[in-house]
Amino acid sequence: MPLLAAPMAPTEAPVEAPIEEPIEIGDPGTDDVVVTDRPWIVIVWNDPVNLMSYVVYVFQKLFGYSREKATRLMHQVHYEGKAAVSAGNREKAEADVARLHAHGLWATMERPG
Amino acid sequence: MSRRFTRRGEGLLVRLSDPERELLRQLPDELREAYESDDPDDDVHTRLFPRAYLDPTEENAEREWQDLVHPELLRERLDALARIVGALDATEGGSRGAHDVALAPDDVPALLGVLNDARLALGTQLGVSEESDLAALDPDDPATYRFAVYAWLTELEGELIDTLLGDMPD
Repeated sequence: MPLLAAPMAPTEAPVEAPIEEPIEIGDPGTDDVVVTDRPWIVIVWNDPVNLMSYVVYVFQKLFGYSREKATRLMHQVHYEGKAAVSAGNREKAEADVARLHAHGLWATMERPG
Repeated sequence: MSRRFTRRGEGLLVRLSDPERELLRQLPDELREAYESDDPDDDVHTRLFPRAYLDPTEENAEREWQDLVHPELLRERLDALARIVGALDATEGGSRGAHDVALAPDDVPALLGVLNDARLALGTQLGVSEESDLAALDPDDPATYRFAVYAWLTELEGELIDTLLGDMPD
């Protein structure tokens, strides 16, 4: 049951999700082909139950983020309704979502078009 | 450090009154039922075990992911319940109606998970929102007791988190 938070001007730029480097496949005799595997992003949604301090704790514990970064992401979840907290290939995103669910956070994954 | 939680080696001691300990001791049975529910319309179960994919075209991936991770997520939660039951039942009688419950290092995340899941379950059942005003409850409303339990769990969990955040790097 998502609770979209009260509208409030975002104070932070969107989270800089780590974007995977494109894989360059060199083929002698032809132009290099660049294959970009669009990363999946993991979204944490706002909910009215999880405590702000708990969300900070979970982000630090699971992702090793600094207090400052974990707090910034928590604020984004709380005030904007959601935040992208990690990114990677499908397997990594699925693993991150599972760990977030294990900690009671409401997380989903998607691949931005 | 909070009023209730103190360090003991790598673990913690949590000071609980008799009624608090009784209340905590009831949570595992209630949570076990919610964890093991196979009712697709069970809102609490759905909140505790949500989908990974919102995109309906990823239904196959969702099913594969659920098959892969659900047994593990369920087992971890049931293990946490067993740890908390063990810690509470191992507590000797205290003095003046209070007990120091000893939490081994692995019991600490288990307690955090049980408290948080209990709040998610109660919050879902009670329809808690960010606008819920616990002070405005009618004492005659049967839901008031459950809101009071929710508020108590929130206080206890908040103290535990503050204790744990003290160990996290800035």
